[in-house]
Amino acid sequence: MNQADLSKLVSALRIAVKPKPRLFASPEGPAGRLRKLKATVTALVKYERIELNYPRAEEAQSYAERLISDAIRNGDCHKHTMEMADYWLDEKQLIHKLFKVLVPRYKEYNSSYTKLVLGPKTYPGYYAGTAILELKGNPFPALQPATQNYHYWLHNVLLGEAKREFRVAKAETNANLSEPVASKN
Amino acid sequence: MAVTRFQFLSTFSRQFSSISNAHIVQPKLRIEEIRGKRISIFDKEYKRQQSLIPRLEKIEVAYEGFDNETTTLVMNKGVSTPYNCAQHISEHVMKNSVVAEVNGEIWDLHRPIPSDCTLKLLSMKPEDQHQASLVNKTFWRSCSYLLGAVVEGSFQDDISVTLHSFPPANVRSGSFVYDVQLSLDDWVPSLNDFRQIAATFQKFVRQNHTFQRLDIDSSVALKMFEDNVFKADQIPHIATKSSSGNTVTVYRCGDHIDISRGPMIASTSLVGRCSIAAVHRLDSRIYRFQGVALPSEIYINHFAFGILETRARKLNPARTPELKSN
Amino acid sequence: MLRRVVLQTFRQGLAQSFFKRNAASLSESAVTQHPIETSEEASEKSGSKQKNGDESGNTVVVAPPEFRFMYPEFLPDPTMERRNKLKEKLERMDMLQRRSIIEIPEFYTGSIMAVTVADSNSPNKFARFVGICIQRGGSGLQAWFILRNVVDRQGVEILYEMYCPLIQKIEVLRLERRLDESLLYLRDALPEYSTFPFEMEAERRLNNSVVPINPIKVKLRPRPWLERWERQNLQGVEDLNLPQRYYDRAKEVAKPWEKYDLMLQYRKTIPAEEQEKIYAEVHSQLQQQDLKRKIKRRRGPSSEQ
Repeated sequence: MNQADLSKLVSALRIAVKPKPRLFASPEGPAGRLRKLKATVTALVKYERIELNYPRAEEAQSYAERLISDAIRNGDCHKHTMEMADYWLDEKQLIHKLFKVLVPRYKEYNSSYTKLVLGPKTYPGYYAGTAILELKGNPFPALQPATQNYHYWLHNVLLGEAKREFRVAKAETNANLSEPVASKN
Repeated sequence: MAVTRFQFLSTFSRQFSSISNAHIVQPKLRIEEIRGKRISIFDKEYKRQQSLIPRLEKIEVAYEGFDNETTTLVMNKGVSTPYNCAQHISEHVMKNSVVAEVNGEIWDLHRPIPSDCTLKLLSMKPEDQHQASLVNKTFWRSCSYLLGAVVEGSFQDDISVTLHSFPPANVRSGSFVYDVQLSLDDWVPSLNDFRQIAATFQKFVRQNHTFQRLDIDSSVALKMFEDNVFKADQIPHIATKSSSGNTVTVYRCGDHIDISRGPMIASTSLVGRCSIAAVHRLDSRIYRFQGVALPSEIYINHFAFGILETRARKLNPARTPELKSN
Repeated sequence: MLRRVVLQTFRQGLAQSFFKRNAASLSESAVTQHPIETSEEASEKSGSKQKNGDESGNTVVVAPPEFRFMYPEFLPDPTMERRNKLKEKLERMDMLQRRSIIEIPEFYTGSIMAVTVADSNSPNKFARFVGICIQRGGSGLQAWFILRNVVDRQGVEILYEMYCPLIQKIEVLRLERRLDESLLYLRDALPEYSTFPFEMEAERRLNNSVVPINPIKVKLRPRPWLERWERQNLQGVEDLNLPQRYYDRAKEVAKPWEKYDLMLQYRKTIPAEEQEKIYAEVHSQLQQQDLKRKIKRRRGPSSEQ
């Protein structure tokens, strides 16, 4: 039984986090792993949409989410956050982008800041498919069509009418309940 | 259909064995015989109309698909239907199209196209609100029709079932309706009865019957529906209202034929989940069967469907049939 | 600070005494920049309490931020495979119930405490042990702390489970913190640093809002040690006076990238939103219990007995 580390307060991530990190073969060990991910995170912040292999995309996504959520939580005057931004973003103008562009963009978000989409598989071929990792709210055209659900589709018409009827019935019962009280007073 | 009907009858007879004081009117003909007679008339008339087409002429159909992409199809005049056009386009369109829009007019999928036209095929999930309301109405009307087909065949032979009519489709009322006269006084269906009817409905729908449309002369129609007093009564009135003044539109689905102005959905496989919610007794043995159904393309949560079912139990406010005897 | 060794007969404690040998890994992870941040939090204590008091009048219940240092055992084990929301909630309820029966005061590693436990083998007999809290860990009902003292020139350490029903009383004789989060190095320090008299009385605190940090630097015995302390970046230890090769080796095996591994930190902690929820759930009961005890104490010790 471990105790939770209290030294830092972190925001909850809005993506599914795996219990164990993915291990990448790297001659430099864990430091090399971080260096690889650093390149990916830098590219993501720079280009806003990148295509790469799935395991690395998934791992880099969580680091990018952490970086952005820390920047939103602590702002650019926080020493530790600045240190992290300095480490994770190789190009220094991207630090400004993180605090001046991405933080205002994501401040009001209720969902994750990045999106991971499975890319097409090459056919024929047996390699795992690529993945497309992007920052939400980027200027590029959407990857997937927006899911539609219109109020005039049959089930929505039926449910909408049921809802309206329920509200009317409730308003009536409320009126009936309040009347006798008023008469007593 | 016949097989399922017999299975159903065996289970259903137990339900009615308890009704001893029911007033029983012995019908002249069994329902299979009546249906067989109607179908033979329908087939004869259909063949006659087909033989009237002198020779095949070609027409150009401009199909407007996804993203306003237009495809021109060369089809046979008076023979090819929008369904045939869909067969040329894709399997998905073929299976999911409910009705067509021919020159902006809503058109049955199995109704021949008479001339050059622009064609749109509508699914149950259209993007346009006006189209959606048309599609919903069509679906609801077809469900009423199917309810009539199911109710007509699901009672024992000693109970006479006479279909009256179904009111214009109104999706907002929450239930589709068929008014039927039964030779039963004070029949209160049990929950099991509803389930049995819904199961028959579902079985019928899964047989994937197409809706076949035929415009027939009122005299033929009168002959076809001579066993049904209500329909025979309605036919002259309907015929005078029609554009030519003397035709009646009938639809055939499986072995059931009914009068309706249409249009109807392409086939019964487009109907998904369904439930028979209530049977209300209107005056003098006229019973109002009510149900609720969803297209096979639309799935909703069982709880949400439960809400729709409870709402469908309320008496549908559509106009009630007036009987001449009253 | 330094006291003479006062010998006491404490057979019970000696019998139970043991060294927590596998604590090396724990201590490594615990030694971080933690004291800096916590001291900031501690200095803000009085102000934040006031502010949150105002906020709690609204519909949103917010526990004071220092609660996570005062009651860290209410946070669940951050290991994701072992998380179970229902179990955690039930445990919190059990913990509050136990706290309503005995007072578990606020304490930190470095505080000097006295714990009275019942003897499970001889009814109506109690054993009291005084010592410095050298480590604190575990979460939920399994939360524990280790007290250390030197008795008869013999180092004695007892691990107490905070919510163990055998515990009769927990007193904090001196509430303070040290420069490090884990004081396991006291095992290798000179005995006077971990020697405390058993009849020591509870000290009165002048300033209730701030928990003082004791800046004492401990002098370690010469090698051999239980652990390689030079590798652990200890703050509360005097210069170790080792040959240069030890420091070189320490540099070789150090893992400087770990502080940049954001997900490693994330997997070790409970997110702030979840912490808020947990403390919002328990803080009103905790405060009520605290208030009741204060009123009882003010009425005088006569009513207690």
